[in-house]
Amino acid sequence: MLRLEAVGKRYGRGRWVLRDVDVEAQPGEVVAFTGGNGSGKSTLLRIAVGLSRPTRGTVAARPPVVGYVPDRFSPNERMSAAAYLTHMGRIRGLTTSVAAARAGMLLDRLVLVGGRQVPLRSLSKGNAQKVALAQALLVEPGLLVLDEPWSGLDADAHGVLAEIMTEVAASGGTVVFTDHRESVTRAGATRTYTVSGGRVSLPAPDSGWVPASDIVLTAPGGGRAPQDLVWEELEGVRTVDRDAAAVRLHVARESADALLLTALRHGWSVERVAGMPNAATSGDPR
Amino acid sequence: MIALIRYTFATMLHTQRYVAPLLLFMGLMGVLTANGNGPLPAAYASSAGAMFVCSTWLAMAVVSLDEPPQRAITVVTAGGRPLRVLLAAIGTVLLSCLALMVVGLAFPLWLGDHAVTAADLLLGIEAQLACALTGTAIGVLCSRQVFTRQGHAVVAALALLMVALFTKGLPPVNGLFTLMATTSDAAPLLAPAGAMSALSALLLTAATAATHFTGRRRQ
Repeated sequence: MLRLEAVGKRYGRGRWVLRDVDVEAQPGEVVAFTGGNGSGKSTLLRIAVGLSRPTRGTVAARPPVVGYVPDRFSPNERMSAAAYLTHMGRIRGLTTSVAAARAGMLLDRLVLVGGRQVPLRSLSKGNAQKVALAQALLVEPGLLVLDEPWSGLDADAHGVLAEIMTEVAASGGTVVFTDHRESVTRAGATRTYTVSGGRVSLPAPDSGWVPASDIVLTAPGGGRAPQDLVWEELEGVRTVDRDAAAVRLHVARESADALLLTALRHGWSVERVAGMPNAATSGDPR
Repeated sequence: MIALIRYTFATMLHTQRYVAPLLLFMGLMGVLTANGNGPLPAAYASSAGAMFVCSTWLAMAVVSLDEPPQRAITVVTAGGRPLRVLLAAIGTVLLSCLALMVVGLAFPLWLGDHAVTAADLLLGIEAQLACALTGTAIGVLCSRQVFTRQGHAVVAALALLMVALFTKGLPPVNGLFTLMATTSDAAPLLAPAGAMSALSALLLTAATAATHFTGRRRQ
């Protein structure tokens, strides 16, 4: 549970970064904020976890255990990932053995490349992001806040992240995350807010609905496996549906050609491309 | 709080930010206590001077240790209370200063030929404690929590150090040094040195509060 009431934020006498923000997130909900760079998403999350204090308005009903994953985590430290997580677990009140066990379990689940003893500063962006994610889950959070969690993670970790978010929500926690791509927020969230110019709104279901294409890609014959792509990162992708045989993508019409070219270059075979009737104009005779 | 101090200590050791202040302390001890005889209070004033400069540097380094995203994680992990994280950093600095204090007490005795009394040792402890507390207060005020630019922080810290060290009779640091340099008997100095330590503790409390509220406002 989390409630922001009439929240406004400015730094010093600068411009208002956020204005009149009213957001409510119930237990069990996955709430997404989408918006461009500098739209105020990160500031909103910092206020949600209590790192920033709102200039106006109040934050109410924040659960006692909060997990926070910042957008970039690049510690310049020799400390190992396992040692760092054990320290964080102890600060959260776990005993050393419980903290170490929990850290090991999370790192195994997220598949940290290089193992648990790898120093933090030698981690790649994606692997550092995994450590940042693990520290937020050492104690089951009542509120899990993630700032652009999908960026930098590989395709396998995307699946684990989605699972983790679902689990936290299923056990009565509230999940809040941001992303600049709507494909991700639409797919993962029960509710999506749009952040723009410091204002937060719930978009109408059919707004911004542009013509789209439905694309189905498969592996070509002859035993050659296509290269795995992070489809969510590609321009114009709205939803991604993977199964054993095929990848089914829902793509904005104007981005479909570029996406097909990328897919073909990476060894995929195009099984089907179909124009999608769009919700806003499906009834209109053309 | 113990877990937080442990984490801060581990980060300090791993990043090796303690090395430069430690070398400075050892260097100052070596230079200032070069002549091995004379009254012990004057020698302990040198130890306290070394402690003063070293604790300022150490406090600046330790309070500014974590990069902002890492600090954000630590603050949220510590229950969303940045004051606890700041207090853990200060605790780490003061514990390190206690270890240095042993060196500061023993080094003049090892190097020189002094007649030691219990009052001498107690005065040495009080003087170093007062300097460690004041030095930490300056270091905390000149950390990344208050100054966003490293250069400004260093200039401010140097200015405050100079003022505290060389303003004639200014308590707690210069006032204490003047007393210790002019009196060879430690016993009558114990009470004023104790008062200077208490004043230093007040200074550190004020500096901590100021740093906390400045950092909070900037967030």
